Amino acid sequence: MLLYERKNKTKQDMKAGLRNEPYLIINIIFAGVILLIFAYSGIFSSEKDNYPVTCIHEKITGEQCVSCGLSRSFSLIVRGRFEEAYQWNRYGMRIFLFFAAQLVLRAAFSRFYLKYPDTRKQLIIIDCIGSGIIFLVSFWPFIVSII
Amino acid sequence: MEEVKKNTGQNLGIAALITAIITFVLAVVPCIGLIAIIPGIIAIIIASVGLSQAGRNNSPRGVLRAGLIIAIIASMISFSQIFVAGKFIGNPNKRLYGIHNFINDIQDNVTKEIEDANVSIKVESNGNKVEINTNANKKDQEQKLEDLEGGNTLKQDSIQKHDSIQKHATVRKKK
Repeated sequence: MLLYERKNKTKQDMKAGLRNEPYLIINIIFAGVILLIFAYSGIFSSEKDNYPVTCIHEKITGEQCVSCGLSRSFSLIVRGRFEEAYQWNRYGMRIFLFFAAQLVLRAAFSRFYLKYPDTRKQLIIIDCIGSGIIFLVSFWPFIVSII
Repeated sequence: MEEVKKNTGQNLGIAALITAIITFVLAVVPCIGLIAIIPGIIAIIIASVGLSQAGRNNSPRGVLRAGLIIAIIASMISFSQIFVAGKFIGNPNKRLYGIHNFINDIQDNVTKEIEDANVSIKVESNGNKVEINTNANKKDQEQKLEDLEGGNTLKQDSIQKHDSIQKHATVRKKK
């Protein structure tokens, strides 16, 4: 009984501690979203062509956009067929790498954040700048299409 | 009771943050960027409600602020996709020009194929059969016409003109 109460208290303390740390919450949510993207790529395949989301840009304008074929490209990368993935969308690989890198970085930065509380501010600044640069490099073709 | 007060708006903050991050990921992809405006607005509303609740009870607002900022940026990116689509819709000449070229190509191909085609017409009536074979080859027609007219035709004459002249010539010959 005492052990259960102690466990329950530790859980509550952790929850309360997490609520006061927006950085950790952002990391957990972002990692979850990335995992969902990978799961989407794994569940749907280009052979079955059962993707629930179609290109809205193409439907409206009648022309293909830079991100057309990205879902198929991701599905093929997950299955290890890189050349076919490149043919579907030539930017697919770099965007997939961005998400994969972010998944690793979220885990690593969260660990550093908890382990070294004195350097939290510097860690957040480094994370923001680094992730921003990686984001710009990966999504540059898409950003250019918007501009 | 105090703890409940301290955590006011925190659940809304997490909900807003989840929606905002999903919105951001969707907004930067041109294919689905336009849809992202819907979760973006939802995230802004959730974060705003959470911020007002947290303001009343003096509870921490870090998560709510992060959610609101990400949601606003993502919504702006998503909104900009409308202009990208608008650019294409607003300039239909580009698309029409493409269609026009496509039709012209087909027309040229069909004309080329017809030029060298052999035409055969069969007519059957009360057991009588009539078969007319003709070659639509422009050069052959020109040659035939020259033979009939004695070499006084213009080379630029079209096949239709040749046909009418040919008919005229045969009528004269019969006479």
